[in-house]
Amino acid sequence: MAEESFLTDDFLRQLINVGEVDILVGLPTHNNAKTIGSIVQTIQSGILSGFPRDRAVIINADGGSRDGTPDLVTGVSIDDLRPASKVEALRTLHAISTKYANSPSSVLALRTILAAAELLHAKACVVMSPESSNIEPGWISKLLSPIYREGFDLVTPTYSRHKFEGLLITNLLYPMSRALYGLRIREAYSPEFGFSGPLGTQFLGRNVWNDGTEGDGVELRFTLSAITGKYRICQSFLGEKKHVERRAADLVLALRQTVGALFSTLEPDFPVWSVVTASQPAPTTGGGQPSHLEPLRVNRKRLREMFSTGVSELESIFQSILSPDTLAELKRIAGMGEDEFYYPAELWVRTVYEFAASYQKSVISRDHIIQALAPLFRGRTFTFVTENRNASADEVENNIESLCLEFERLKPYLLQLWKSGE
Amino acid sequence: MPLSRDVLWYKDAIIYQVHVRTFRDSNGDGIGDFQGLEEKLDYLQELGTNAIWLMPFFPSPLRDDGYDISDYNAVHSSYGTLEDFRKFLESAHERGIRVIIEMVLNHTSDQHPWFQESRSSQDNPRRDWYVWSDTDTRYKGARIIFLDTEKSNWAWDPVSKAFYWHRFFSHQPDLNYDNPAVREQMWNVMTFWLAMGVDGFRLDAVPYLVEREGTNCENLPETHEVLKELRRRLDEKFPGRMLLAEANQWPADLRPYFGDGDEFHMAFHFPLMPRMFMGLKLEDRKPITEILQQTPEIPPSCQWSLFLRNHDELTLEMVTDMERDYMYDSYAESKTMRLNLGIRRRLAPLLANDRRRMELMNGMLMSLPGTPIVYYGDEIGMGDNINLGDRNGVRTPMQWNGETNGGFSAAPPERLYAPLIQDPVYGYPAVNVLRQRSSEHSFLNWMERIITVRSSTAVFGRGSIEFLHPANHRILAYVRRLSNEAVLVVNNLSSTAQAVELDLRRYKGSIPIEMFGRNMFPRVGDLPYLLTLGPFQFYWFRLRRI
Repeated sequence: MAEESFLTDDFLRQLINVGEVDILVGLPTHNNAKTIGSIVQTIQSGILSGFPRDRAVIINADGGSRDGTPDLVTGVSIDDLRPASKVEALRTLHAISTKYANSPSSVLALRTILAAAELLHAKACVVMSPESSNIEPGWISKLLSPIYREGFDLVTPTYSRHKFEGLLITNLLYPMSRALYGLRIREAYSPEFGFSGPLGTQFLGRNVWNDGTEGDGVELRFTLSAITGKYRICQSFLGEKKHVERRAADLVLALRQTVGALFSTLEPDFPVWSVVTASQPAPTTGGGQPSHLEPLRVNRKRLREMFSTGVSELESIFQSILSPDTLAELKRIAGMGEDEFYYPAELWVRTVYEFAASYQKSVISRDHIIQALAPLFRGRTFTFVTENRNASADEVENNIESLCLEFERLKPYLLQLWKSGE
Repeated sequence: MPLSRDVLWYKDAIIYQVHVRTFRDSNGDGIGDFQGLEEKLDYLQELGTNAIWLMPFFPSPLRDDGYDISDYNAVHSSYGTLEDFRKFLESAHERGIRVIIEMVLNHTSDQHPWFQESRSSQDNPRRDWYVWSDTDTRYKGARIIFLDTEKSNWAWDPVSKAFYWHRFFSHQPDLNYDNPAVREQMWNVMTFWLAMGVDGFRLDAVPYLVEREGTNCENLPETHEVLKELRRRLDEKFPGRMLLAEANQWPADLRPYFGDGDEFHMAFHFPLMPRMFMGLKLEDRKPITEILQQTPEIPPSCQWSLFLRNHDELTLEMVTDMERDYMYDSYAESKTMRLNLGIRRRLAPLLANDRRRMELMNGMLMSLPGTPIVYYGDEIGMGDNINLGDRNGVRTPMQWNGETNGGFSAAPPERLYAPLIQDPVYGYPAVNVLRQRSSEHSFLNWMERIITVRSSTAVFGRGSIEFLHPANHRILAYVRRLSNEAVLVVNNLSSTAQAVELDLRRYKGSIPIEMFGRNMFPRVGDLPYLLTLGPFQFYWFRLRRI
C-alpha cells in the first residue's frame, strides 16, 4: 500500500502556486502570535534587502497554534514594511502556512520545511526561530549568502552570549562533537541555520523521521549529517542572542534533545568519527563571539546540592553506566563542601564518554541514561561557573578551549570503551 | 473599405508605427518615400492594422531623425512631395486606414526660419518665439533628458549672444508658449494638415511646453491650458480627429493630460511597457498588476495607448533605480545597448528571438486595456543593429524579401539611408515578409491572426478590466467586459508549464470558448476553474452564457 504523504493537499496546492524558488525561509511556529508579525516583517525585510531579485518564499510550519499565528504569518504585507525600511520588492514574496500536527514537533516542522524546499527546488534555505526576540534583517543574508553565493551547504550561527549562557553547549555539545567529528562548530544545535537544497534533500531522505516525537534533536542530527556527508560548512556570526521570555528550560528535556541526539548518532557514524584524530576550525564570517560579562546570579549552592543528591540517589544506576574509578571519584567530590567542590575537566570528559558508551550498549533504558546525566552536568556547571566567575571573555574562551582539548585528548578512551562493547 | 464614422474610432484601432524613410523606396534613391509607403498599404491592410502613425516627414536637417523640423507645412524632399502625401492619405483612407502624423510642438530645429529670425536680433518680431536668457541659471529645477549628450538645458547662441532654452538636443530650441503668436502659429500648422485630411496627431514632448521658475518645468497647469485650447479648437473645426500625447510620466502625472475628456484623446502608457518586460523576466505578474493598479481611471472618451517597442530606446525613466538596474542586467548586458535611461533594442532581440515570448508579449499588448501600437518590422521579428549610433539601430530598412536590399530599394546598397540587418539570425535573407507570408505558421501570419481575433470584438478596445488574483503569481489573469460580453485572458509569464486555479464564480454557468481555435472548454462551476498552461502560453476565452 502506498505510504500516505505527510503533506496536506492544501499545502501542496500552495506550493504549486509558489513554484520554483531560489530562497526559502522556514519558520516553525506554535502559539507565537505576540511576536510573529514583527519576526515575519524582519524576515521579509532581510529577503528584500539581501536578495531583491531572487524568488523567495516563507514557509510557516505550524504545530497547531490556537492563537492565530499562521494567519499572522500569511497576513503580513510587504507594503507594511515600505515606509519604515524603504525596501522595495521587484517580485512577489510569498508566505504560506501549513499545520503539520496538532502539537509542536521540531522534527515534523523541519521535515515539512525540507519537503517544501525539495519540491520548490530551493537553492538556499534558512530556518528561523520564532523565539528569537532580537532577530535582525541582516541575519537572513548572513545565513543565506554563504550558501547562495559561496557554495557552502550548511551555515550554523554563532552568537554573542553571556559567559554563563549555553553551558550545555560549551561544556558538552561543542567540545564533544568537535572531538568526535573533527570540525569546530560552536552551535551545532541551533534553531537558526542555513542549508543548501542538496543538503536538505539528502537529510530528508534519511531514515530519521520514524516516530516524529519531540526530543530527537533533529537540528543537531542535521548538522552532524552534513559533517559526515562531507558537505561544505561554515559559521556566521549573528550578534547577540535573545529569547522571547518563556518558562524556565527543562534540563532533562534539553539533554534528551541534544546529548541524546548526539549519543544516538555515534553508532551509525562510528566509521566516520572513529578515524578522526584532530579537529579543524570551520570557516567563520562576521567576527567572533564575545561573551557578555555583566554580573549574573547563579545559585551555585543549589547546583552542588543537586549534584550530591543525584550521585547518592542514582548510585545504583551509575554503577551500570560508569566505571568503578569514575564513580568513586564522583562520590568523593560529592562529599566535598561548597568551597572545596571541584569537578575537574578530565573527570567530566571521562564521565561523558562512559555515558556515551553505555548509551551505545543500552546497559539500561537509554532515556534513563540521559536523565542520569542531569545531576552530574549540574556539578560540572558549578565548577565552570566557579572557575570563570571573575574571568574575562578571553579567559572564558581559553577555558572552553582547554576543555575541548581534553575531550580530544581522551577520545582514545571513548574508542576503547566503544570497542569493548562491540 | 470606408472609414468608420465612429468618433471613438481610436479605441478600436490597431496602430502601425512607421517612418516613411524606412518602409519602401519607390524611386531608387535609397530612402523610403510616400509612393513606396502607398505601395505597401495592402500589406498593412492584410495585417489588420487600421491606423498608421507616421514619424516626422517634414523638412529637417535630420539631426534628430526629423524631430528637428525646419518647415512644418511641407514634406521633406527625400520622401516626396505634398502631393505624394495627399495621394498616400487618400489611398489609406480608401482602405479604411487612418493616418496619424507627428506634430512636434515643443521645439523646432535651429535651422527653422523662425529661429533664424529670432536669433538675428533682440528686436526681431520673432525674438520672443523662443525662450532666451542672459544667464544659464534659470529653471534649475528642470532635469536634463538627454543625459548622454547634453550638460545643460541652456545653450549659448553666439549670434545673438544669449542663452536659449532646449529640453532636448541643443539644436532643438524650445518654442515659447507664453507667446500667443506661437500658439496661434502652431494651431495654423495643425489646421494645415487637418484640412488635408489627417486623422490625428501624435503630439511630441507635451509636458515641456511651458517653463516656470521654481518648478521642474514639466506638466505645468499653463501647459495644460495650451493643450486644452488646441483640443477645443480641434473639436470645433475638425470633430472626430484625435490627439495622442507623448508624455513619459508616471500614471498619476499622466492623468491630467486627459482632463475631463477635454484635452488628449489618448496618451501612451509609458510605465507599463518596461514592466511587461520586467514581469516576463521575473516570471511574476507583480510589476504589471502593480502599475495597472496605480493607473487612474480616465474619462470614458479617452484611451491608453500601449506599445512594446517604438523608434526610441526602451525607456526606463519611469522605473525605480532598482528596477532599472534589473532591466539593464536582464536585457542590456552590453553597455552599447544602453542609451540615455533606456535600452536601444528591438522586440525580437530583447526576447532572445523566442517565438513564445514574442507571442505572449503581443498577446498582452492586444488584450490589456488600450489601443495597441505595432512598431514596423516587429510583426516579422526584425532585429536591430547596435553598431549604428543613437537610436538608428532600430530604424533600419523594412525587410520585404530575401533579394537585393531586402526588397526595400533598388539603389546600390551603399546609398541606402542605413544598412539593412545582415546577420545570420535577423538578416533580411532569413527574416522578411515574403518568406513569412509563404509559411503558414510564421510569426507574421500569427500576428495577422491575433489582430483579427482582437478586432473581432470591441471588448479589448472599450471594455473594463477586472483582475483575477490566482495564488500562482506567474499567471496574469483578467476579465475584459463590455456590456454582456466577457473575455477571460490568462497569461503564463513563466518559462515552465503552470497550473492555475481561477475564481470564476461570478461567471458560473458560462462556457469558455477559446477565441483562436473556437473550442469549448468545460463550463464554469462552483469550484475553482483549473487550467494548465505551457511555457509562456496564453488563452483568450469568450465567456458565453448559453
